[in-house]
Order: sequence, then C-alpha cells, then structure tokens
Amino acid sequence: MTDTCHSSGAVTTTLPSGGVVALVGNSNVGKTTLFNALSGARQQIGNWPGTTVEVARADWRPAGAPRALTLLDLPGTASLSPVSPDEQLTRDLVLDSAPGQRPDVVVAVLDASNLARCLYLLAELREAPQRIVVVLTMTDVASARGMDIDPDALARATGASVVVVLDPRRRDSVSGVGAAVAAALENPLPAPRPRPFAVDADPLAVDDDRFAWIQAALDSSTHQHPSGSTWSDRIDRVATAPVLGPLLFLALMWAVFVVTTTVAAPLQDALDSLVAGPVSAAAAALLGAVGLSGTAVEGFVVDGLVAGVGMLLTFVPLMALMFLLLSLLESSGYMARAAVVTDRAMRAIGLPGRAFLPLIVGFGCNVPAISATRVLPDARQRLLTALLVPFTACSARLTVFVLVGATFFGSNAGHVVFGMYVLSILLVVGVGFLLRATLWRTMGTDPLVIDLPAYHLPLPRQVAFVTWGRVRAFLRTAGGIIVATVAVVWALSNVPAPGAAGSLGDVPVEDSVFAATAEAVAPVFAPAGFGDWHATSALMVGFVAKEAVISSWAQTYSAQEPADPGDPGDLGDAVRADFVASSGGHPTAAVLAFLVFLLAYTPCVATLAALRREVGTRWMLASIAISGTTAWLLAVAVFQVGRLLG
Amino acid sequence: MTPPAASPTRAVLAAIEAGTPTLADIARHTGLDRGVVAMAVNRLVQTGLLDAETMTAGCPPDGCGSCASGVADRPGCGAATLSASRGGPVLVSLSVRRR
Repeated sequence: MTDTCHSSGAVTTTLPSGGVVALVGNSNVGKTTLFNALSGARQQIGNWPGTTVEVARADWRPAGAPRALTLLDLPGTASLSPVSPDEQLTRDLVLDSAPGQRPDVVVAVLDASNLARCLYLLAELREAPQRIVVVLTMTDVASARGMDIDPDALARATGASVVVVLDPRRRDSVSGVGAAVAAALENPLPAPRPRPFAVDADPLAVDDDRFAWIQAALDSSTHQHPSGSTWSDRIDRVATAPVLGPLLFLALMWAVFVVTTTVAAPLQDALDSLVAGPVSAAAAALLGAVGLSGTAVEGFVVDGLVAGVGMLLTFVPLMALMFLLLSLLESSGYMARAAVVTDRAMRAIGLPGRAFLPLIVGFGCNVPAISATRVLPDARQRLLTALLVPFTACSARLTVFVLVGATFFGSNAGHVVFGMYVLSILLVVGVGFLLRATLWRTMGTDPLVIDLPAYHLPLPRQVAFVTWGRVRAFLRTAGGIIVATVAVVWALSNVPAPGAAGSLGDVPVEDSVFAATAEAVAPVFAPAGFGDWHATSALMVGFVAKEAVISSWAQTYSAQEPADPGDPGDLGDAVRADFVASSGGHPTAAVLAFLVFLLAYTPCVATLAALRREVGTRWMLASIAISGTTAWLLAVAVFQVGRLLG
Repeated sequence: MTPPAASPTRAVLAAIEAGTPTLADIARHTGLDRGVVAMAVNRLVQTGLLDAETMTAGCPPDGCGSCASGVADRPGCGAATLSASRGGPVLVSLSVRRR
C-alpha cells in the first residue's frame, strides 16, 4: 500500500502506511465481534479524518503474514450505493479510491443465514480489482433454518477465498481468517468480475447482472432442506392461500364474535341487573332526599344518564373481550395476512389494490380511513374508495351489533354479529364492483406487494395495554357523545309536539317533539318491518354517532315506563314487543333488517365531515344517498325475505 | 419450482405488476431465492422504481384523531406516521411507481 493521500469529495481517504486490511459487511453480521477477536485490546477508535464517521483501527499481525498490518473496522453497509455518510466512507475507501490506494485485502463478513442479501455487497466489491477474503458467520443459524452452504463451492462461484467462522468471539475460531489474509497478500490483485454493462448503464441492467450472479452463486453453493422453512412460511401456505386464506380469516372472525358474546354475556347480565336495579334506585333515592323527586332533574338523571350511560357500561366486558381478541390477532402478525386476503378479493373484482389500506383502517374507524384514501395516487381511486369506506363495519357499529345481538338473539348473538361483519365485506366488494362497472370503467389498478412480518407470540403486557387503551378511549369519546345526545334527547322529549297535550317538562314522551319527529319519518321504514318511532329515533340519533344508538333507545323506553325505580322493567322485552307490533309478527326478520340498515347507512357526522374535506360537498351528499339507498333496499329485502321464510 | 429468471430484477418487477401479493409468492413465481427477491425489492425502492409505504392498519393503543374510539392529534391508524406507542408487526406495502 502506498502512503498517499486521496480525496473524494470532503472525505480524506488517507490510509495508514504499511498493509491495510478492511473489514466490510452489512450491519449485525458479527463484523465488529470479529474485529475485536482479531485485534484484541490493541484498538483505537476515532473519527475518520474529514468525517464524523467513527472507525476502529488496530495493529494486527496474522500468523504467516510477512509484516504487521493495520486492521480497519469500516461502518456496516448493505451495499456500496451509499445512503448515509457511514456508507459513503466505506464506498470511498474500498471502491472509489485509485487502485493503489485501496486496502490491500478486503475481508467481507457475510451472514450465512441471510446470504443472498449479503452477497449483493460482495457482488459490488468483486467489480473492482482487489483481494477479497469472505468470512461466513452464523452458519449455525443457517443450518437451523435448513440451509447447507458449501464454502468451497461458494469460493469457486465468487472468486474469493471463503473462511467459515463458527464463533467470532473466540480467537481460536478466527485463526483461519489470518491465514487466508496472509495467503491473499501473497497473490497479485485478481481481475474484477466481468461486467456486461457500462459504468453509466441503466441501474436496472446493473442490478439484473448482480442478482443473476448472486442467484448463480446461491444455486451452486447452497442447499435448502424442505423442512427448513420457517413456521411463518408454513402457516402462510394456508393463511394466504387463495381459497383457504379467506376461509381461515372468516373462521377466525367468527370465533372472535362468538367467544365475545358467549363468554362475556353472564358478566353483562350481572352489570345490567346492577344498573337497572340498585343504581337507578339509589340515584332516585338520592334525588328524592334532596327534594328533587318527580322533577325534570330526576327524569334527566334517572331516565337519561343512568339509563343511557348505564346501558353502555353494562357492555364494557363484551367490548373489552372483543378488543382483546382482535389485539391478539394483530399482535401475532395474523392481521397482516388478512390484508393479503382482502387485497386479493379487491383485485379479483378490479378495484385498486391499494384501496384496501384505507378500507382496513375503516374497520377500526371510518374517519381516519377517509383521510387514509390519500395514499391512492389517482383522484378517481380516492373518490371510489372514500365512497366505500362508510360500508366498513367500524368498531362503534360492531359494538352496537354486539349490544343488539345480545339483547335479541341470546346465544346466537355471535353468529349474528359475524354475519354483519361478513355482510360489511360483501357490501364493500359489491358496491365497489357496481360503481366500478358504471362510473369508473376506465380506471386502472396499481399493483401492490405486501412485505409480511413473521408471526410471533403476542406479548401479554402489550396486548393488555392495547386492549385497555381502546376500551378507555372508546368510553371516553363515546361517553362525551352519549352525555350530549342524552341531554338533547331528554330536552326534545320534554317539549310537547305542536297540538299535543301537556306542557314543557310535563309531557309523555310519545307526545313530545322527539317522538313526533321520529313518528313522521317512521313510515319510510314500514316496508323493512321497523316503522316504529322508537327504532326510527335510534336511527336518527345513530346518524350523529352510532355510539349513542343504544343509550337513546334505552332512554326513550325508560322514560315511557312507570316511575318506580325499583322496577325499571325489561328493555329487551319492551323493544321486542314494539318490533313484534311493527313487523306484523315477524320480529326476528325486522331486527335483522334493522341491523342491516344500521350497518349500511351513514356511519356518523364525523365521517361526513371527513368526506366533505376529502371529496367535496357534492360527493359527500352522493355518499349519503348511496349509503341510505343501499341500506333501505337491503333492509327491505332482508325483512321481506325473512317474513316469507319465517 | 420455476427456474430462476435470467433477468431477476425485471422478473421481480413483472411479478409485482402482475399482482403477486407477497415476497414469498414472488420468490415462488420467479424461482429466485427469497433473499434475492427481498434485496431486489430494496434496490427497486432505492432506484425509485418502487414506492414503499409503511401501513398503519389497525388502531394504535391511544386511538387516533377524529375517531370515535380515539384521541385527536395523535399519529395512529390512517395517520401519516405510526403511533410512537404502537407495538407489534408493521406492514410495508410496495407499489410500482408510474413512469
């Protein structure tokens, strides 16, 4: 090595006098461990001149070498196409320097368990005339994964001597490196690997040549046992398969909803009894003790807050269990596979592959999902996806399904909720297909690849943290919405409708403005079997936010019942009786139609605001029309078919 | 197993354009080593032929802005960046950049 100074940009590539050996390799391949084992305690660490890049150097005299050498531990780099100052320095020293100013020997440290990735760096190194010694680390990990590597074959394929280091921490294990370096120093500079492309060739052609070289080296020097595939690979053969994948996804979601509704049901019943009985009685007694018995305040507290908020609280165990199970699926890495399954379904009907990103977000909440449509590059794709997002069953709607399902369908509630979830997916696909076939026939689709993470065992602490965070956040936000809607519903329930008997604060709820408004709209839902003002009022409140559906429902029934707080009645029986009446004796079909309408019509005003922001007022109104029409047609179809069958 | 493609990078790009959904599937279809496919995708992203995007599917522990289940002004699902408190696997989606 000539003791000269060479500059490349701001970096001074001054190498020490005498022989220089540079260790290069990807990060975390054992390069620094090898450096420590070779150099012992004789190392100096400092910034490379002209840079802030830290480089360790040490004197090293391997056995058989004619003189002492300087050993450099260069920064880890995946390739010699630098994206950081560290990688730039490595490139400057081993590739861009004039041939006489490069290290005498480059030791390329390759992780055998990740050989293909590491060979890219070697392919680049071999494009310059330099002595290269390959050190293979982590061969034990590669063996455990079913990969055998033949070092001699690898040496022939790459044109570099190959040394296997079983444990780079032990000096006796690394002795072969010194011998290989000493031998390399005796040889003249080898010819570089022939390149069929010019220096300024198309990057794609350059990479093609390198990867073909890597694949050929792998084919001639490695053998992968079939049993060596990872657990993730084996599970994915089922989880992402075209037919079994969707079936597994549906089976898992079915299990989530069935377990949620059956396991948590006893707890919900116990809490319901507590809120409807002692809590309501205690609230009434407390208000009576301060002289507010029979006043509007008692109506607001007992019939409004306790009935509305209390009803929601009784379902906390169900929500917590559902969030827990979904968190388990997410933390295990399974939900990423569900994304693949969804993507394939979208692609099959010609929807843009990337559209599934916001749609998956929509199953958590529609509002951010509308914002997430920005990931789509095409304005028409953004619009189409934004119109589909409201059909995804967000967590607020799932909660209402669980509540209504548990009230009406008992042990079959899980099946009903699962059915709503599946219907939500079918609606996205079906409406998407219809819109695509009519309004967006010329829209292209962008291809998409998903890099899946490996499966792993969920960490209990993390799952508990996520579950608690979701329950707390839901209750906090829903609590605010519910208290506000309870107040509005209570106020409207205490204002007499025009021409009705009673006075402000002293009017039966069925004669109030609230009931009269719902009564005026109710006939629209008569063909769907729930043309009753109670159900209609719940849907009107649900237009604002789905979280408030159950509380307002409970509120109107509670206000209608006798004011004996010790006997608050059975909300389920009362609601069922109204469904029996409105459906002409087909309550099950009517409730199912009601749930379908809840699923398909506008999710909430927050979603409308997001839609207006993203696609404008005209398309926001179109979304209301599309969702409302779809919801009504489906609800009528479900009821009419159910009535005929039942 | 398909024989390895003569033009690996182009084969990977073609598989992505054809809608092959995962890196494992691309490796199967092209006959390339899974590691070669992963590195080829990295290079395609570096050279600007592919877009890589971290997906924010699922809800973060603290919810997200404007969501009935969330807290405003926090990165989260659907947000531009991942929640700092998020754990678990992260999806990366890759798509061919229009030329």
